Amino acid sequence: MSNAIETESLEYRAGKRFALQRLNLHVPAGSIYGFLGPNGSGKTTTIRLLLALLRPQGGRIRVLDGEMPDDAPRLLARIGFVPEQPHLDVTFTVREILQFQAAFYRTWDARAAEQLLRQFELDDQQLIGRLSKGQKAKVLILLALAQRGDLLVLDEPTDGLDPVVRRDILFALLEYVSQYKATILISSHLVHELERICDWIGVLDDGRLLTETPMATLKNGIKRLRVRHAPAAIGTAPFAVLARHAANGGAEAAVSETWVVRDWAPEMASYFDGIGASLEDVIDLDLEDSFVELLHASREHAGRS
Amino acid sequence: MFRAILYSQWKWSRLIIAVGTIAGFALPLVSLQGAARADRSPLEAEALLHAVQAWGVLYPLLAAALGLLVAIVTWAPDHRGRHIHALTLPLPRWRYVLLRFATGATVLAVPILAVGIGALIAVAAATLPPGLHGYPLALALRFALAALVAYALFFAVSAGTARTAGIILGVIGAIVVVQVFASVANVELNLADHLQTVLTNWPGPLAVFTGRWMLIDV
Amino acid sequence: MFDRRLVPIILCGLAGATLAAQDTSVMGLRRRADSLATEWRRAEVLASVADSVERERASGGRDTIAVGALRIVANRSPLPLREAGRRAWVVVDSMYGPVAQRLAAQPYVILAFDPDTSARRPVLRVGLEVPWNTTVDALTQLLLANIPLEPLDRRLDDWLGGPLRPRIEGSRDFARVYVRLVTAPSQSARRCFLGDIPSCHMVLDLNESDSAYLEWYPSAAERRALLLRFFNDYFDRPATLTTWRACLHGEDADCTRLIRSLPPSAIPQPLTTDARRLLAHTALRIGGRAAYGRLVADSSDPIGTRLAAAAGVRMDSLLARWRADVVAARPIAVTLPRWGVPAALGWILLLAGCGLRSSRWRVA
Repeated sequence: MSNAIETESLEYRAGKRFALQRLNLHVPAGSIYGFLGPNGSGKTTTIRLLLALLRPQGGRIRVLDGEMPDDAPRLLARIGFVPEQPHLDVTFTVREILQFQAAFYRTWDARAAEQLLRQFELDDQQLIGRLSKGQKAKVLILLALAQRGDLLVLDEPTDGLDPVVRRDILFALLEYVSQYKATILISSHLVHELERICDWIGVLDDGRLLTETPMATLKNGIKRLRVRHAPAAIGTAPFAVLARHAANGGAEAAVSETWVVRDWAPEMASYFDGIGASLEDVIDLDLEDSFVELLHASREHAGRS
Repeated sequence: MFRAILYSQWKWSRLIIAVGTIAGFALPLVSLQGAARADRSPLEAEALLHAVQAWGVLYPLLAAALGLLVAIVTWAPDHRGRHIHALTLPLPRWRYVLLRFATGATVLAVPILAVGIGALIAVAAATLPPGLHGYPLALALRFALAALVAYALFFAVSAGTARTAGIILGVIGAIVVVQVFASVANVELNLADHLQTVLTNWPGPLAVFTGRWMLIDV
Repeated sequence: MFDRRLVPIILCGLAGATLAAQDTSVMGLRRRADSLATEWRRAEVLASVADSVERERASGGRDTIAVGALRIVANRSPLPLREAGRRAWVVVDSMYGPVAQRLAAQPYVILAFDPDTSARRPVLRVGLEVPWNTTVDALTQLLLANIPLEPLDRRLDDWLGGPLRPRIEGSRDFARVYVRLVTAPSQSARRCFLGDIPSCHMVLDLNESDSAYLEWYPSAAERRALLLRFFNDYFDRPATLTTWRACLHGEDADCTRLIRSLPPSAIPQPLTTDARRLLAHTALRIGGRAAYGRLVADSSDPIGTRLAAAAGVRMDSLLARWRADVVAARPIAVTLPRWGVPAALGWILLLAGCGLRSSRWRVA
């Protein structure tokens, strides 16, 4: 499978405190890639590097069939971008911004733009500055989709929007992907939203990519296990142990533990027999819980090291 | 692309251009008011030249104001959006900046033409005392150059980053500090005067603004 | 008791005494005037002697530089006196002709001093103090401006508004006269500009008339404008207020009366004395080397006659030549210097380039 976006040991430092460290990102072509991370983890910075708004200090960035930032003008013609904050001139009307944008993109689909105007119920004579937050977000999505790009990069496109608007936007994105087989990179900290549409997920924290995996693998692979009589040293396990906590209080605390593991498969239950422990329960975690556990584990590990 | 950017430029600066065009057209006519009399009294010549010279001060001011305002509105919307829209457009950045510059200069052509037309009409309609001649085209050309120099200057400043502004302010601050130290140390050094001379005498950038702006002269 | 027939005798006697007393006053004043004139002549002689003594003192112990008939007495210094003298002599000789030979008896006395020292230097009562760092051009101008020839006669000096100095050729003088000819608030000046030679005669006051102002400003409007511009504050006072107000309301007779009340020299001329001096120089140039001698030969002749004699042509021809030179020197209206357009375009391109090269447009 080829990648629409690929970074190799990408490095970027912004000031003294934050840095992207050896980021190796792989966004498969044709996928909807969810870029997940807490606030300040580096999602927007990464996106800016991908779009040549920033120059990396180390590593390589490959987008579609070119290198960024060297091939930026050619590649940007095939990329639709929705930024975190609206960046359009507030004195333009919706119609005017459509006409302005159309002048720059050879692949601009005017009919699709009109259709989306109707679908989003936007008044084309309304000034951008007078639109509500949701309407502005719809305009940005409209512009990105009408370009007919091969890649859409969306930086928290539904943040702060009401459920109806979010649904409309997500629906339009899904329709676009199904029609044009485009790749979408969507960054967000709204986990449930990504869970619904993404088929790949990458988790970023403090400038480091914690994991990059198909969505199903992440969702199904992170479990909470209740284990009794587990030894302190457990050797090599077939799964990754993200965390081990003693049970809450009482006499059980001495013998019972809660494990958070990754890459779990049901047949791995036999492992506990081998170490003299017993597996009491396997609890499914949703994406949000998985994400939180992943972060905790990563931060604990970083603290220890 | 040029048309799209020109449209946006026009949209942002149309009020400035409208006012500047009216002012530019009216200025030559107003400065020659009274010159259309046919009696050609000898009392007119000196008074006419004084009036023309007095009104002439407004030409460089108008040119500078137009240049400054058009340059500001060229970049203001991009500044508000932190230039993200501009930087994600699919064209080389230098080309985008060049298009912005060219469209700004294009809209400035309107008040420049207005000055030229107003000057031509004013001179054609006036009955000049013997010995005096009209210079409408030379005046319009000078106005054009002044407006474009002002526009280019403020365009460059507006296109710069906060670091650029800091450098410029730093240089100005350094000149002031050196001047203060020189005066305290009783050293004869007048940097500000030298700088003014360099900037305002030919071939300095501001030389086109200085001197007399005479629509009518000997 | 008192005989009335004595009254007329007494009265006649009193009248006679009064007349005699008056006659005595007049004679007394005359004697005082004569005495003052005598004292003045004595003082003049003493002043000449003092000047000569001072000149001898100033010249003593100094070098003398001779260039043509110019004599320059100066202390040793880096001043380029010989070169300046050479340049000045060319001008002086062409202007004064044979009269310039008199300069051999009237040396320049120059004290050259070091401008960078605060050492005291001797007081110089005659001559010129010149700092060492004076350029040869400035020194030449200094020599020309201080030609030690005898002054012109009073009549010519008054007409010229000062001594007639040599001038370094340049069109700026004529250009100034051109501007004045075109902008002076006088019909006569305008007619002169348009080619009417008798008008040129008038505006240059070659007739030396006391009522020249009537020729300069023939219309009521011009006279009123003249008074308004130059004498507004002067006539706006109780003694002349009524006449002044009548003049402002359009009474030309009152305006003329006010102008007549002024001394002739106070009435602004349409052309400045620059124009007259240029006419004199034109006459000298046309007349050749002996022209200056002819100009100063007979101080009783009218100015116009003397100028024509100096030039060796008729007055109308001289005026036509002068007018042609003035018209030919029409100044170029400087809206832009020749290379102003490329310079301005260069700055536009440079500044635009700075905008293009701003770090904002290079990937940070």
